Amino acid sequence: MTTLTLGKALNTGLRKAMEDDPKVVLMGEDIGKLGGVFRITDGLQKDFGEARVVDTPLAEAGIIGTAVGLAMRGYRPVCEIQFDGFVFPAYNQIVTQVAKIHARSRGRLPMPITIRIPFGGGIGAVEHHSESPEAYFAHTTGLKVVAVSNPADAYWMLQQAIACPDPVVFFEPKRRYWDKADVDLDVAPPPLFTSRVVRAGDDLTLLAYGPMVKTALQAAQAAEEEGRSIEVIDLRTLSPLDLGPVEESVRRTGRCVVVHEAQTNLGLGAEIATRVTESCFHSLEAPVLRVGGYDVTYPPSKLEEEYLPDLDRVLDVVDRAMEF
Amino acid sequence: MADLRQFKLPDVGEGLTEGEILQWLVAVGDVVTTNQPLCEVETAKAAVELPSPYAGTVVELLHEPGTTVDVGAPIITIDIGGPAADDAPADDTPAAGLIGGPAPGGRTSVLVGYGPKNTEAVRRPRRSGAAAAERATAPQVLPEADYGSGSDRPPLLATAPDVRSKPVRPGGVEMGRAAEQHATDSEAASGQAVAPGRRAPRPLAKPPVRKYAKDCGVDLTTVTGTGDGGVITRADVDAARSGAAPSGARTPAELAAEAGTVVRFPVVDAGTEGREQRIPVKGVRKHTAAAMVASAFTAPHVTEFLTVDVTRTMQLRTRLAARPELAGLRISPLLFVAKALLLAAHRHPMVNSSWDEAAQEIVVKDYVNLGIAAATPRGLIVPNVKDAGRLSLAELAGALADLTATAREGRTSPTAMSGGTITITNVGVFGVDTGTPILNPGESAILAFGAVREMPWVHKGKIRIRQVTQLALSFDHRVVDGELGSRFLADIGAVLHDPGTALAF
Amino acid sequence: MTAAPEMQEIVDPVPGAGEPHLPAQPDLVQLLTPEGERVEHPDYALDVTDEELCSLYRDMALVRRWDVEATALQRQGELGIWASLLGQEAAQVGAGRAMGTGDMAFPTYREHGVAWTRDVDPLHVISLFRGNDLGGWDPVARRFNLYTVVIGAQCLHATGYAMGIQRDDAEAAALAFLGDGATSQGEVNESFIWAATFSAPVVFFCQNNQYAISVPIERQSRVPLFQRAAGFGFPGVRVDGNDVLAVLAVTRAALARAREGSGPTFIEAFTYRMGAHTTSDDPTRYRLAGELEEWKLRDPIARLKAHLSRSGKAGPDFFAAVDAEGDELAVRIRKGTLEMPDPAGTEMFDHVYAEQTEEIAAQRAEFLSYHEGFEQ
Repeated sequence: MTTLTLGKALNTGLRKAMEDDPKVVLMGEDIGKLGGVFRITDGLQKDFGEARVVDTPLAEAGIIGTAVGLAMRGYRPVCEIQFDGFVFPAYNQIVTQVAKIHARSRGRLPMPITIRIPFGGGIGAVEHHSESPEAYFAHTTGLKVVAVSNPADAYWMLQQAIACPDPVVFFEPKRRYWDKADVDLDVAPPPLFTSRVVRAGDDLTLLAYGPMVKTALQAAQAAEEEGRSIEVIDLRTLSPLDLGPVEESVRRTGRCVVVHEAQTNLGLGAEIATRVTESCFHSLEAPVLRVGGYDVTYPPSKLEEEYLPDLDRVLDVVDRAMEF
Repeated sequence: MADLRQFKLPDVGEGLTEGEILQWLVAVGDVVTTNQPLCEVETAKAAVELPSPYAGTVVELLHEPGTTVDVGAPIITIDIGGPAADDAPADDTPAAGLIGGPAPGGRTSVLVGYGPKNTEAVRRPRRSGAAAAERATAPQVLPEADYGSGSDRPPLLATAPDVRSKPVRPGGVEMGRAAEQHATDSEAASGQAVAPGRRAPRPLAKPPVRKYAKDCGVDLTTVTGTGDGGVITRADVDAARSGAAPSGARTPAELAAEAGTVVRFPVVDAGTEGREQRIPVKGVRKHTAAAMVASAFTAPHVTEFLTVDVTRTMQLRTRLAARPELAGLRISPLLFVAKALLLAAHRHPMVNSSWDEAAQEIVVKDYVNLGIAAATPRGLIVPNVKDAGRLSLAELAGALADLTATAREGRTSPTAMSGGTITITNVGVFGVDTGTPILNPGESAILAFGAVREMPWVHKGKIRIRQVTQLALSFDHRVVDGELGSRFLADIGAVLHDPGTALAF
Repeated sequence: MTAAPEMQEIVDPVPGAGEPHLPAQPDLVQLLTPEGERVEHPDYALDVTDEELCSLYRDMALVRRWDVEATALQRQGELGIWASLLGQEAAQVGAGRAMGTGDMAFPTYREHGVAWTRDVDPLHVISLFRGNDLGGWDPVARRFNLYTVVIGAQCLHATGYAMGIQRDDAEAAALAFLGDGATSQGEVNESFIWAATFSAPVVFFCQNNQYAISVPIERQSRVPLFQRAAGFGFPGVRVDGNDVLAVLAVTRAALARAREGSGPTFIEAFTYRMGAHTTSDDPTRYRLAGELEEWKLRDPIARLKAHLSRSGKAGPDFFAAVDAEGDELAVRIRKGTLEMPDPAGTEMFDHVYAEQTEEIAAQRAEFLSYHEGFEQ
């Protein structure tokens, strides 16, 4: 058992993946000498060399497009997009090529590409560095999308994503990069595309992923002090969704709230709400409610705290659900 | 506007000078497309099809079949200027095959594909009855489709194999698969997984029904659903309100089972066929059964019996009913039994406790939530009067009356049924003397109170007709030993025998 | 801003302006004139046997026959569209025949001539245009990627593949095909940057057929395309795209450069799209008939035929045999197309992922039971 920050857990997981498989190649801006702007790839170029840890030109489409070619040649590229807001130049290659080539070739050309994206706000940044674009990718058939929330998942899920024969968009909660927890480097993890109950409860089911899992747990703790028992589930996988544990929970609690930083309109909460309503219709005491960012452009950093869902915003919606 | 072209007989090979037209493959008026075979022409060696160089409408066939024609002579006239497709379009419509123009199959031409259909959509007829879905087969990587490769003559400029070029390995996939297999084989154990909450699944009902029940004050956990999968319908809620058995597709046996009475078998001709009824275990019955089992097979039950002459209590009952404090209230024998029990419990607090197995502690409670076992159309429930020990006789009478009325209407709330500390079960209303009651789970004592009968009794040394009842006290022998149980029961009996004793308690 | 004086002599007049094309260009590599004369070039020698010349003729003639037949099939409604390569046979056959067996080609969606040289069955290309699949051949086995319809996206794939070749330490190269319009796409320019920065073994083969649908080349670039490479730091060469011998020589040299580790080359094959962009395009809306007539005089197949006949390297028997083979091929293509079985509806569920999800499996089952609910 070792205590790691989420960032260090990713670094350790990358190192392990590279040791296990000589075909793993990391590509991204500033990931080599600098070790990445969040130090996630720190030390890796020194140990694995420039051919396996590539400082790329400043060209996101190039990072993903060349990864397609490398994958066709038998390599396992792990691409870093430096910040969520800068994935869009690469969006064409991701959606029209990475997501489609397996189907286009009817399985002859797999795309075992991992695309790591630090996402979410809460770091007081300038424009384009605090986005939550996961819905654009979860909606794209042919991609798989996951979001880690804690160091243990960071360590294991990254390795699993790299090993996955399908392309995985791997979202990392940048504001949680420095959160610490114990990580067991030896125990086998659950399968990658599964959700997990992280706090038991009886009165309401609270769903979160990425940076909001910690917020949800804090909200549940505060709620307990007020006499309310909230069950928190970390979704972990956004496409495919693993809603089995969610449905089991909602059949007990009868109430469900989804929280994400992304703008509420047409965010992942909308899809989850629809599915839970359909599958748990007869158990629901209240409609499935969502707590998300306001449907505005991500604001300048002085207003960030007003925009992002926090403990109070979550509990407000929990209260609303309980009042039905 | 017509744009006529003539196709001249070409030299189809080897310096041909003439050819015989064997047969026409098109007729005047036909719409032809480029390369469409127009006719068969005989050369020195073989019959050859001549493809049309134009797309358009055939205007004239210039020679009869069987005619020999010189190379270079016109053989057919085609109008390429007119519309090449179905109807005469407006002047603006592009020509067939160009963007916006008509395309085969009733479509309109586009740059990038077949083009949109111009047909009307109709609903296709369905089969009656459900069809089973095929089992999905695992998708596989396909080999290239074999269309028969025809000529296999290799090009002479075939490039020599690059001996030094390494084959492309899938590389790393096996190792990656091994990592994933390792993960999927084992239990989830990240250190952060927790067992989910333990509350039982909620009763099933559509949101409008749920609201309806809430507005009516019906507790859905006491309602049995008649919808598919046990879903509670609006009718079920209505039935629960009225206390009557709901209408619907249910057998008399089901109705009878819910009411707790004897099952009637329909009369049949012979044998045992049709003489068994199967009643689903659900709703309150299911809950009650589970509670009984939990209690009966966890707590070691001991039952003690006491027969009591309660004549004085019954006389007191008449006198008290006249008092203003108790005006309008129902003064039942149960009220006195309850009061007697409360007084006795105050003297012996240990009987008002519960055995906490997990904590290995006995929790003695300072408050008495007095449960009264009630038979309802839905089955047995045990609502309780909260903190009954602090109520005056009048208050207790009111509380018992409310409790009974609410239970009869099926409106008892979950709160009323939880937190009980000791229970009375009145078997006397059924004309029964006594029994060996089973503890309400979480409690340590339960008192069964039988019918009050006129019986011969020894009173002041003589045989007299007195009003006599039997009390049966079951208790959890882990918590209450024989002495305590006996004293407790004796105290209850003492108060009922001589109400004045209450002044001393 | 002043242009270098040399550049003034090389810039072509605007296509369709009525001016003759291809003034004498010292930089245009040519080994076979439009009239069929063999000429020498100081930088590009080509050693070809007579048999190899005949083989190149046969390749081009059969590819054209395939193209003509497919165009006819589209007119008859058997294909949704067809992207004709008419006029570009020499560029494609020459480039394709320059490749080694270990090299990998990354076509656009018009390189049927290259497909031919990689032993792709024509019907596996036809099935794409018929709408049966998105390309029926095995890209790994053929060393010929599936067609990429997003303009220029394949250039980055080729560059990445070349970076993989480097890591394998193999003697192989990637050959990326692109058109004149594609040189305006950002991702294509990114691929040039990457190829140069990493000295990747990739050759960019640009068929400048003068048009991107209706938009002429001068709207894509202010300078001749082959000169763009210098800006990225690697050599560019312009070759007569209708001269199969020149294309063969130049492409061989560029691939050899790449394989030996000297990095990328940009080849501009100067050619002309004789047909429409796709079958429902109407080129009369944007170009003059005179232009077409001029380029007919530069036909790639006619010039080789003239050379073979005049030099006695091939006689009438040979050409007749090729024509006959063409007819057989046309019949096979026609028959194969008409008899091509429609795909099963379940196919769309089967290859979305290497590891299918429960959601898709459930939808596939739902799809099957939905269809079983209909009569017939």
